[in-house]
Amino acid sequence: MSEIWQGPLEKIDDYRWRIPKSYKPGMRVDGLIYADEKLLKDIRHDKAAEQVANVAFLPGIVKASMAMPDIHWGYGFCIGGVAATDVEAGGVISPAGVGYDIDCGVRMMRTNLRLEDVQDKIKDLTYALFNDVPAGVGSKGDIRVSAKEEKEILVKGARWAVEKGYGTEDDLECTEENGAMQGADPGAVSARAYERGKAQSGTLGSGNHFLEVQVVDQLYDRDICDALGLDLGQIMVMIHSGSRGLGYQVCDDYTRDMVHCLSKYNINVPDRQLSCAPVNSAEGKAYLGAMKCAANYAWANRQCLMHLTRKAFEKVFGQSWEKLGMFLIYDVAHNIAKIEKHIVDGKEKILCVHRKGATRAFGPGHPAVPERYRRFGQPVIIPGDMGRNSYLLVGTQKAMEETFGSTCHGAGRLKSRSAAIRTINLGTLLKELESKGIIVKASGRGTIVEEAPQVYKDVNDVVDVVHNAGISKRVCRMRPLGVIKG
Amino acid sequence: MDGKNYEFIEHTADICIRVKGADLKALFINTALAMFDIIADKLPVKSPLDSARAEQATRPQTVKIEQEAENLDELFVNWLNELLSLSSAQEIILSDFKITDITTTYLKAEAIGYSSEDYKFNKEIKAATYHELKIEKSDGGWQAEVIFDV
Repeated sequence: MSEIWQGPLEKIDDYRWRIPKSYKPGMRVDGLIYADEKLLKDIRHDKAAEQVANVAFLPGIVKASMAMPDIHWGYGFCIGGVAATDVEAGGVISPAGVGYDIDCGVRMMRTNLRLEDVQDKIKDLTYALFNDVPAGVGSKGDIRVSAKEEKEILVKGARWAVEKGYGTEDDLECTEENGAMQGADPGAVSARAYERGKAQSGTLGSGNHFLEVQVVDQLYDRDICDALGLDLGQIMVMIHSGSRGLGYQVCDDYTRDMVHCLSKYNINVPDRQLSCAPVNSAEGKAYLGAMKCAANYAWANRQCLMHLTRKAFEKVFGQSWEKLGMFLIYDVAHNIAKIEKHIVDGKEKILCVHRKGATRAFGPGHPAVPERYRRFGQPVIIPGDMGRNSYLLVGTQKAMEETFGSTCHGAGRLKSRSAAIRTINLGTLLKELESKGIIVKASGRGTIVEEAPQVYKDVNDVVDVVHNAGISKRVCRMRPLGVIKG
Repeated sequence: MDGKNYEFIEHTADICIRVKGADLKALFINTALAMFDIIADKLPVKSPLDSARAEQATRPQTVKIEQEAENLDELFVNWLNELLSLSSAQEIILSDFKITDITTTYLKAEAIGYSSEDYKFNKEIKAATYHELKIEKSDGGWQAEVIFDV
């Protein structure tokens, strides 16, 4: 994009910028972007800020149409967008505020292994993971399910996998929503979506999805690290995946339906991709019921992927995963809509919170945070690009007050895929990564170039903003050693 | 356009293409061809000895598509998403399209595809979107710009 976005961005403080609702007639609230001066320059380079303004048109939206510092241009909503609508005041739900990859998310596991334990084995380990964890476009898993079982997955989520022997109760406790949203309605999921989901559980997928072996390289909060059993030099595993074809179909089915809801419910939005319906309408309820199914499918999927990862580690290290200390720290969704209670203007309201490329970051004491973490807040996992860092953060009280308990989700793209292909040489890139001690295995060679570190913002800059703005708190930082891409 | 019937337009995260066609029918077909060209390349049948693949490749599958919409934009997006959905559900790549009937709100078509085992995948397209969608009559026919979520 050579065009620079010319709209107004008023400085509130060093980390907050306002798009006043006077910018476009029809905006119901201001736009609010979390960024610093450095990131703001990149933000103006595409149309993401315009999308923040467009989302402010949604009926029932409260406080502001927000964007996190990893904001970039999406379709309908920007990526990094947070928007909450007041359910009882006709607030809407929009499939575009969730995205095609419903419950795309990240989970992070700890291990007892230390850098010196894996240094000589990282190649073997990466290759073993690549062999045992199905990845790539249209990848199909060994975990094939019948139609009846698929319905069970949609309701039970990660619990389905645990009942199959692919994990433990402890894993469920450390997963957002315990791995299954209540109120999933398998009847609201089309036959086509079922068909698309059949072959894909237990697969990583492609694009920006990945599995990484990482090492902790910086501690920020010693108290929380101690409580989580984390230390410098410790080996961690991160898994990034979503609901695969089943989720895309649910989004497609309901975007199709809801395009017609715009005239039916007299909704005025500047982009048809922002199609939506009142949460309390028949269409809104059906979408929410189907979205929850796709979300549950994604949690089952990440649970299966974690199981395959544990098995691969067992093979390479000749010890059980329990002995290797491969326990789940947490699993977060970063493409989802949730019905949550928040305080708006001093009053408790029931809101439909859309997080599109944004992560829930509930603060200390919140009942939705697992008891073991309640003292310091919900763990938040922020994956970066394959050459730099990833982070573990926790949610804060300030996030509860300001952003409906939400924060960023990753580094955020900076450059287009075609620009990456034009400017990056695969051989040079792989050598650069190898010199940093990073091994990459991908099913598609193009994926490595398109996902190269230089096409992303520096995750360190993004995390600086959310930490300094107070909407989450740094706990520790990791760097990658072995990367599996689709 | 490098011998292809479409070109890429810059977009930070997703893929945006511009496609042309002499008439509406050609525009719809060319966009479908472009979409599957982005998704996968056909694997060559290496030798007659590679009989399993050769046999697979000789078995085309035909799918029927019928779409109704309120307007042209919707018909266009629905057409592309229906093809993506059929391709994913039936695990085939569609490579030949015949539109037997088309207006601005209705189309009837057949598409022929081959098992995805015969292809090398390059890119997953999740969906065609309405965002910044443009379908226009141009000098020599029709032109469309569409963003794919990838």
